[in-house]
Amino acid sequence: MPRRQGGIDVRLQATQRDGAEEAGLVARLRAGDQAAFRQLVRARHGRLLRLAGAFCRNRASAEEVVQETWLAVITGLHGFSGEAPLAAWINGILVNKAKTRAVRDGRMVNFSDLAREEGEGDAFEPERFAADGHWASPVRPWDALTPEREAGDRELLAGVGEALEQLPPAQRAVVLLRDVEGLESPAICQALGISEANLRVLLHRARIKLRDAAARLVGPA
Amino acid sequence: MLTCHQVAAGATDYMEGAAPPLRRLGVWAHLRICPNCREYLRQLSRSIGLARRALVAAPAAEVEDALAAIFAAHGQGAAE
Ligand SMILES: [Zn+2]
Repeated sequence: MPRRQGGIDVRLQATQRDGAEEAGLVARLRAGDQAAFRQLVRARHGRLLRLAGAFCRNRASAEEVVQETWLAVITGLHGFSGEAPLAAWINGILVNKAKTRAVRDGRMVNFSDLAREEGEGDAFEPERFAADGHWASPVRPWDALTPEREAGDRELLAGVGEALEQLPPAQRAVVLLRDVEGLESPAICQALGISEANLRVLLHRARIKLRDAAARLVGPA
Repeated sequence: MLTCHQVAAGATDYMEGAAPPLRRLGVWAHLRICPNCREYLRQLSRSIGLARRALVAAPAAEVEDALAAIFAAHGQGAAE
């Protein structure tokens, strides 16, 4: 049920597409195919680093966590069941490693405190709505956002990437885990040590900011 | 009747299926008659799609080579 009301079920589409190519990729990886492994590294490394950055306080430890993750992937490939998508399996390894490491180094970000701080105040600027609760000005449709741009406009997608980086830490962690990487809510709450209510507050604020950034990037029709 | 502000403020709960039944019905009824809120929720949803496809930096060539070397070494070890 989640994710349908907006009209586009992004996660399902992605899962179906990924599923078609995945069995072949896993078979090649298990056979030791170098090209397949390099393809996987190119597809996932930057995303893993971005995700690790949500847990670690500095770049160097994020890089080490990603390195440890790749080692675990390489040694664990034969035990990969294929029940979850490959990317989800790798993300799960990364989240565990990142958390273990952050705790060990005494640098675990306290997401529960951050959730409280980042959740304070109204999620919207006051000028956005009139006193009677209506939109102060109409929500302008994204006529300029064609399906082609949505899928492959590099400038737009780079801009959205920057907007992700600029989110406050807990909002960034939550939106990366949930919306970008597609982890289930209970797993995210457990990894970050926050409640489902915290999760939704953070997600909401992150999505509002990303939508505002996207609206600026999409531009007028 | 819910206001646009209330609908926008509860958009994530609604989209995540976490809104209580009465609130859910209220949002649904509001969306039927309010093109602004419909568009806003659609944009939230499309933003998620954009975030999924957001560009990230490619790994440096040395990083990719180093990982590929580990992968190759492990493959040889496993085959013996
Ligand atoms: Zn409305």
